[in-house]
Formats: sequence, C-alpha cells, structure tokens
Amino acid sequence: MQTRRSFLKLGAGAAAVGAFAPLTVSANSSDVKWDETHEIVIVGSGFAGLAAAVEAGKLGAKDIVIFEKLGVYGGNSTLNAGQACFANTDLQKQLGIEDSAELMVQDQLKSGRGYASEELLTHSAELGPYIYQLTKDCGCVYRDHIINTGGTSATRSHQVVERSGSGFIRPMLKTARSYGVKTKIRHKFEHLITAKDGTVLGIQVRRGYHFGHEESGELINVKAEKGVLIATGGFGANVSFRQALDPNLGADVGCTNARGATGDGLIAMLAEGAMPVHLSFIQSGPWASPDEGGFGYGAGFSLYNFPHSIAIDRNTGQRFMNETADRKTRADLEVLRRDKEGKPNPALLIAPKHEAMKDPSMHNVLKYNVAWEFDSVDAIAKHFDLPLTELKKQIEDWNIYVKAGEDPQFGKRMNMSTGIYLTAPFIVQRLWPKVHYCQGGIQINTKAEVIAAKSGEKIPGLYAAGEVSGGVHGVSRLGGCSTPECMAFGVTAARSIMKA
Amino acid sequence: MKTVNTLLLLVLGACIALSAQARDQRDYHEMVYDSGCKTCHDQGMKSFPSDDSCLQCHDMSELAQQTKREGDEARQNPHDSMHYGQEAPCMECHGEHTPKQAICMDCHNFDFPKFKQ
Ligand SMILES: Cc1cc2nc3c(=O)[nH]c(=O)nc-3n(C[C@H](O)[C@H](O)[C@H](O)COP(=O)(O)OP(=O)(O)OC[C@H]3O[C@@H](n4cnc5c(N)ncnc54)[C@H](O)[C@@H]3O)c2cc1C
Repeated sequence: MQTRRSFLKLGAGAAAVGAFAPLTVSANSSDVKWDETHEIVIVGSGFAGLAAAVEAGKLGAKDIVIFEKLGVYGGNSTLNAGQACFANTDLQKQLGIEDSAELMVQDQLKSGRGYASEELLTHSAELGPYIYQLTKDCGCVYRDHIINTGGTSATRSHQVVERSGSGFIRPMLKTARSYGVKTKIRHKFEHLITAKDGTVLGIQVRRGYHFGHEESGELINVKAEKGVLIATGGFGANVSFRQALDPNLGADVGCTNARGATGDGLIAMLAEGAMPVHLSFIQSGPWASPDEGGFGYGAGFSLYNFPHSIAIDRNTGQRFMNETADRKTRADLEVLRRDKEGKPNPALLIAPKHEAMKDPSMHNVLKYNVAWEFDSVDAIAKHFDLPLTELKKQIEDWNIYVKAGEDPQFGKRMNMSTGIYLTAPFIVQRLWPKVHYCQGGIQINTKAEVIAAKSGEKIPGLYAAGEVSGGVHGVSRLGGCSTPECMAFGVTAARSIMKA
Repeated sequence: MKTVNTLLLLVLGACIALSAQARDQRDYHEMVYDSGCKTCHDQGMKSFPSDDSCLQCHDMSELAQQTKREGDEARQNPHDSMHYGQEAPCMECHGEHTPKQAICMDCHNFDFPKFKQ
C-alpha cells in the first residue's frame, strides 16, 4: 500500500483529488461492506470492455456488469474512424490480397522503433480473423473494399460502413445486452479494493456520477467473484497528466479523444503497484483543424489531401515539412508555427479544388467552416495575412516539383501527386496537432493479466485491455491497429477470467 | 406532453417556493416549476435529476421524429445520432439551470438552429 500512498502524493495534481476520499481499500474481504456482487466486473464501455462482455457472454458467464462513467457508451471507440487492420480475412482472400499475421507484426514492429512487444502484437494479430468474425456475428457491417493505411505492406484496414467506430459499438452493445450483460452509465470507477496480499477483490464505484461534478453520486463497493477488467482507455484528455509526461502537450494542443479519456483506470492500477510502460509515448494527429473540436471532419480532409497539397507557414509563406512524413514528425513541426508572442499561428493546408472535390470530406469541411475556398493566391495571402511574393513563388516551385516528380525541398514521395498541379480555385484548411493516442499504459501479458512492478508477476484478480494497456505498439501505433488490439485483448481477458 | 397532467396531480401540494438556486429557468417549463422542484429533482434536491426525469413528459422517439434530418444530415439527428442512437440522456446536452451545448459539438460544428443554450 505504500506504493499507492506515495503515488497519491505525486499524482494528486493530475487526478481528481476527491477520487481518493479515504475508505477501506486494503482490507480482508470480510472488512468490506459489499453493496453489489457480480461474476465479472468490467470498467469502460469501449472496444475492449464490450469485446470482453460479448466473449464472456458467449462462454456462458451469467452475471456480467459494465460500468461507464459518462452518460453515453463507447468512449473513444465510438468516435473512432471505423478502421480495423486484420490480416488473413476472407474479405482479403476474396479481393486477392495476400497477407499474414507475421507480416502485420513486422509492419508494427517497424513503426514501434524497437519498443513494441512482438509477443503481444503476435497474440493480437493471430486473433484478427476471429475478431473480424465476432464483430460480424454481432451485426457489424464492413464495406466491401479494404483501405490502405500508412506504414503497412499489405492492404488490410477493414472499415465498417458507418466509417465510424459507432458501427462496432452499437451492435456490440446490443449483443452484450442480449447475453444479459448489465450496462450502467454514470458509474465512475474510483479505485480497486484489494486484499492484504494484493489480490483484487472488487472496486469502488461512484453511482450517479455526472462528469465534471466529482462529488456527485454516492460511493458503493462492488465485489467481483471471478475478476475485474479495467478497460478505461487512454489519458489524452487529461492535460496535466499528459503534460507531465510530455511537456510539449500543454493545453494549447487540442485533443481528439472523448471527454472520459482521463486515465482513471491507469492511475488506479499504478496506485496498486502495476508496471508502467512507455507513458511518454503520446501520439498527436497532424491532420487536425483548430476550427472544430475533436477529430471532426478536418482530419478526413487533410488525410486525403496531404499527398498532393502543401502545408504553409503563415510567417514565411513557405512550406516547412514533408506533408506525408510520419505522424510525430509532422505534429512536432506544426506545433512550432507561432507568432512573435509565441501564440499558436496554425499553418495552412492549401489543396487544389479540382482534386479535393473527389473526396466527400470537401463538402463537409466547407459546409461546417473548417475550410474555405479561394479563387486566387492573392485572396489567400490577403485573408490569412501572409507574404504574397513568397507564397506565389512557393506554389510555382511546388508545381515544378510535381512536374519533375521530385521534391528537393523536403523529399516527399511524389507518386501520389503525379499530374495534380496546385492551381486555383484552392481549398484552405488550418492545421494544428491534437493529442490522439496513448501508446503507453500498464503492462499486461498475453493473458491480459496485469503485471506488478515489484515482482514482474501478475496481480491476482486484475485484468486490463485496450488503450489503458501499454507497450504493445512501442513508439508509434499504425493507423487502424488499435481497434483489433483493443478487441483481441478484451476477448483474451474474458477467456482468462472464465478460466480463473 | 401528455403525461404532464398526471404529473401535476401527483406533485400538487408539493413545496412551491423556489430556492434562489433555481436560476436560468426556461419559460416553457413554467408549469413544471409551478408543481415544485421535486417534479424534476426526483433524487433529492442536492442531486441531479435521474435520467428518466425528463422522460416523464418527453418521449425520446417522438423527439427523434421532431428533429429528423434529411440527406447528408440524416445521421446528425441529435435525438437519434450515429454514435449514440436514442440512448444519450437529455442532460448530456441540455441544462435547465446552466447553459450547455450538444455533445456533438465536442467534435462537429453542426448547426442546430432550434437548440436553446
Ligand atoms: C477520433 C478518433 C479516431 C480514431 N480512429 C481509429 C481508427 O479508425 N482505427 C483504429 O484502430 N483506432 C482509431 N483510434 C484509436 C482507438 O479508437 C482507441 O484507441 C480505442 O477506441 C480505445 O478503446 P478502449 O476500449 O481501450 O477505450 P475507450 O473506447 O476510450 O473506452 C474507455 C471507456 O472507459 C470509460 N471510463 C474511463 N474512466 C472510467 C471510470 N473511472 N469509470 C468508468 N468508466 C470509465 C470512458 O468514458 C470510455 O467510455 C481513434 C481514436 C480517436 C479518438
């Protein structure tokens, strides 16, 4: 328990102080007054929590409960773009795409830059076809073609027709309920309840909690007969916590995450001595716009247009990066675009309308004031107050690079811009990075058991899955590779709990 | 609105004096104020009303009908959204005594012209 107390002192600034109101936390089960008992207790209603509930239901669990602190289900998962990388599915075979779990792992190890866990990635990739089928059995509907996301050597991003994670969450929630799973909103997990030997017995929950009102609701103790699964997601929306880990990620950097991504589960597990892994590896999305919240529509627009468009610094009227470099490189450069006082002065993504119009996102960004149309370079320079001569020269130079098929300025791969000249009319969107994904978290093994920092052994009764777990992806996660991993470890946790 | 009458009967005689905290009242909820704070504050005055509270008078599927949208906006129906269906509790977006905005606005610049902050 010393671990917990010393952590509390350090973490008090980051965590809601009220969350740690004193109560018997380290006790024999006989000392605790239990208000509820369930066979399996799941915290968090995203991909990891729901996949676990569905699998446990399939395996015959009779009494499963999911606690969700917000008023709505799904966390980051329901805001997600609906892309999931699976290797070796029947859809891939149908489309003649050759792929394998090994190949997927190799791609992920590469982007993990030596920090990813081959063991965990392999476990997750091998479960891919099972997860793909499980989601279909729940009623999720995939588009009939597969998307190519960055950093992969085979086309493997399967996308649901909604192009949103809600296309997974809603059918999975329905399926879970059909197994009798009790789903409860406004129930905030406060901390674990452990026996003297560290075994997790249950959790304390704030029932009737309203987000932002930390003292709302009432505290209850919930006993878990078979196990507790923490599936509370990342901490991208907890500014003081993320900034403590990466000083570059202060409040002036936005965030694509749901409100609830404040790291509660992670903080509580650290308090009980779980092993922290790679907490500072926090990924920002370089495709975001400061003119809307979250992921919004701007991300889709920039993702489509980066290959054949240019990003311009408003101070210089010139490019400042390879627009298709990896996420981290671009986000780090974007956040440096500032005025003389150091205030954000977001860069401009300038795209040719004749190409931008081929993607449905152009309609959305124009309609919702996330991007604007201009019929000349002069108009752009005037509107955004940037040096006209330099901007004109930059655009002329860029068009020469397009013609030559080579970018001497930043070495961008030019095969995606062949024949696509940057000519009027232009569509212009502002760019400012947003915190997007936490690679770090607590350590788990291939059974989704949580590992203790002190011993390297599992903490009995405690399981974790999804973004709250760390070390799977290493330095950088590839696009479309969180969904399958969150679900694979959710399923794994359910299997382990049912065996325990 | 059909259940309002029953409700009025039920709470008739309840304390009518409104505390100073009940600011920012909505004119269109006047009859509810007339029947007392506990009409909505069904979990005690110090707690938030339950998520069923508003549904005593309002019906989610009726609201979904009323805010139905067409074409490329079809999925932007706040009472039947792509992300949360008809499950988002009223208080996620609406406040009686505090200004709020739709949770959709966390990520989207949608225009909900009839929304009253
Ligand atoms: C906008 C966006 C787009 C994305 N697009 C993709 C994509 O296309 N493909 C891909 O692979 N990945 C994508 N990602 C990443 C991926 O969606 C997330 O990593 C994944 O959804 C995490 O799932 P999870 O189950 O671990 O957590 P979440 O889905 O975040 O669920 C955790 C839940 O736990 C709840 N919770 C937190 N604390 C508590 C508490 N104390 N008590 C009770 N409940 C609590 C939260 O409110 C939340 O509902 C995207 C992420 C975002 C934000």
